[in-house]
Amino acid sequence: MTKESNNSVGADQAKASIGADLVIPALALAFAVYFFIDIAGLAWEAKANGVLIGAVLVVLIAIQGVRLGLQLARGEGRLGFESLLGPREALPARLALVGLTIAFIVALPWLGLTLTLFLAMAAALRAMGLKSWNKNLLISFIVAASAWGLFIALLETDMPHGPVEFVLSKILNTSR
Amino acid sequence: MTWDFLAGQFAQQFGLWWVIWPAILLGIVVGILPGFSPQNTLIMLLPLTLRVPVEQALAFMIALYCANHLAGGIPAILVRIPGSGGAAATTLDGYPMTKKGQAQQALVLCFTASVFGGLITTLATLALLPWLSKMGLYLRSVEMVVVMLFGLTLIAVIAAKDFLKGMIAGFFGLLLGVIGTDHIYNTPRATFGFLELYDGVPIVPALIGLFAISEALVMIEEKMIVTEEGRAKAVSAQWAGIIDGLRLTVKHWWQIVWTAFVGLFIGIVPGAGASIASFVAYQQSRLWSKHPEKFGTGIPEGVIAPESANNGVTSGTLVPTLALGVPGGSTAAVMMIVLQYHGLVMGPRLFATNPEVAYGVFVSMAVAYIFMIFTILPLARYMSRIVLIETSYLAPVIVLVTVVAAFVERQYAFDMALALVFGVIGYIAQKTNYHVTAILIGVILGPLFEEYLVRALRLSEGDPSILFSSTLGNVLWALLALSLLLPAWRGWRRSKQAAGEQFGNE
Repeated sequence: MTKESNNSVGADQAKASIGADLVIPALALAFAVYFFIDIAGLAWEAKANGVLIGAVLVVLIAIQGVRLGLQLARGEGRLGFESLLGPREALPARLALVGLTIAFIVALPWLGLTLTLFLAMAAALRAMGLKSWNKNLLISFIVAASAWGLFIALLETDMPHGPVEFVLSKILNTSR
Repeated sequence: MTWDFLAGQFAQQFGLWWVIWPAILLGIVVGILPGFSPQNTLIMLLPLTLRVPVEQALAFMIALYCANHLAGGIPAILVRIPGSGGAAATTLDGYPMTKKGQAQQALVLCFTASVFGGLITTLATLALLPWLSKMGLYLRSVEMVVVMLFGLTLIAVIAAKDFLKGMIAGFFGLLLGVIGTDHIYNTPRATFGFLELYDGVPIVPALIGLFAISEALVMIEEKMIVTEEGRAKAVSAQWAGIIDGLRLTVKHWWQIVWTAFVGLFIGIVPGAGASIASFVAYQQSRLWSKHPEKFGTGIPEGVIAPESANNGVTSGTLVPTLALGVPGGSTAAVMMIVLQYHGLVMGPRLFATNPEVAYGVFVSMAVAYIFMIFTILPLARYMSRIVLIETSYLAPVIVLVTVVAAFVERQYAFDMALALVFGVIGYIAQKTNYHVTAILIGVILGPLFEEYLVRALRLSEGDPSILFSSTLGNVLWALLALSLLLPAWRGWRRSKQAAGEQFGNE
């Protein structure tokens, strides 16, 4: 690679990634549009506040759109998402954490709090790069046991029950 | 109420140390976890409080309530996860202090501001109860619209670095806050068809998502949450850090006093709560500060203001409950249920029929605060060491445990998914500098603002001039205008001075 092309890559990377800056305004705009459609037929008391807030939000997003558009036109930014996804090394762990949280929420009603938390913790710690299984299982056990102790045994919340809770309630002879 | 009566009350409450101490410890544990509001914990513990004598039940509930309010600031400072809405403003300066290696000092400030703020307002309430009980009658929907606007102006303050981004975040939060049924006709608005959103966006999942999950997703980029210098300070944390925190408390004693009264006055209004009080106290502290530009960078005043107000609310909330029989908040409502079960009817007659209970509530609160400072202060040194845990361990624990906590308040699995959605929104906002606190302020204060506004407009049959119809309201409007104009005037004066100095140099 020549020095000039190196400089050009460096300059390109130094530019602001405007694409990432547009995500929140895009989400907010999409929600505002949905909101306006949803409340169209309501009485004024029900929609006055929302219309006012939504209108200001749309104006602010429009101004931000113009500002970012001008930045693009002047060559000060580019439509990238690097600032949102980077650094690249952390991306797999981050995606794994989100994925495991979704799996945890889905599995919770079937497996119950203690077992699901134990399994999700073990998988999440592994995804974070913890190699030692002994350490991993010990931490996962402590977290799951503490959660059982606090949420189920002490405070008696209606957390989903699974095989572990069932066995423990039999052993401890409790209704929960 | 005589001095002898008061002395007897204090002696009786100190004798209940065996009830107060466990309640404080439990309150701290559940207060650290977002999702465990004091009212939830008290509801879960109703079988216990209904079984024991009323004095013990009262001492237990009061101590747990106050400890819960205090503990919300601990995770806000250490890992940027407010334990409750009232501690959200604490993250603004508490977490930057931790990053600078001043976690111990920040924790001490949180504890002392909470305890002294709570104690001062409790004693003030004891002395001024007849007058304070009337105050709730003067603060009606018109005045509360302006109080809400005080809190909302914090969005503009937070947005100072990038005004447009901050305002977009704030108004996005406000619009999210409109989700749910309206206050007049109960028609659902923008609920995406989910019944779980008919009551509006639940605060706990929003809080957990915007702060805890988003922060966990960001923190894994670094090995530790503190800088190398901060780590070195945390490793060598000594008792000197606590003494330094106490020194800072003494230095800012006046701020603790006046922000506690902000909490007390806001707490007296039924429905208003710690979130509003702490945001308003933070905004006002910044406004009257000699160095407002330092707020948000990790300064003691930014921790003291929200924490003192947050605990100033605790006694305020109980004023309308005891004096008028109108619960000042959901926790007060649970306490009322327990007292009614024991045959005590809340309201003005309580002071004549059962003065030992009516005044005993506040004496119990004062005693709980005294016990609390001795219990929690020595722990600051050890708590501050949490920042030494690597993020690869911390992040999974934070995400999974807080997702579980999101379930607790309403017991809907939906709330866990909602927390994750807010987590992703919060992560995007953090990475692109759209302030998550501004979004949260909108989500918390938006529905309250709408409620008071619509109520006021309904009274006037849609005539907006009602907002300027009361003397107290107009005074508040003038103060609000001053709040907005003063920073602009200061900025103009500073730039003029700078220009003058530059001209002089040339």
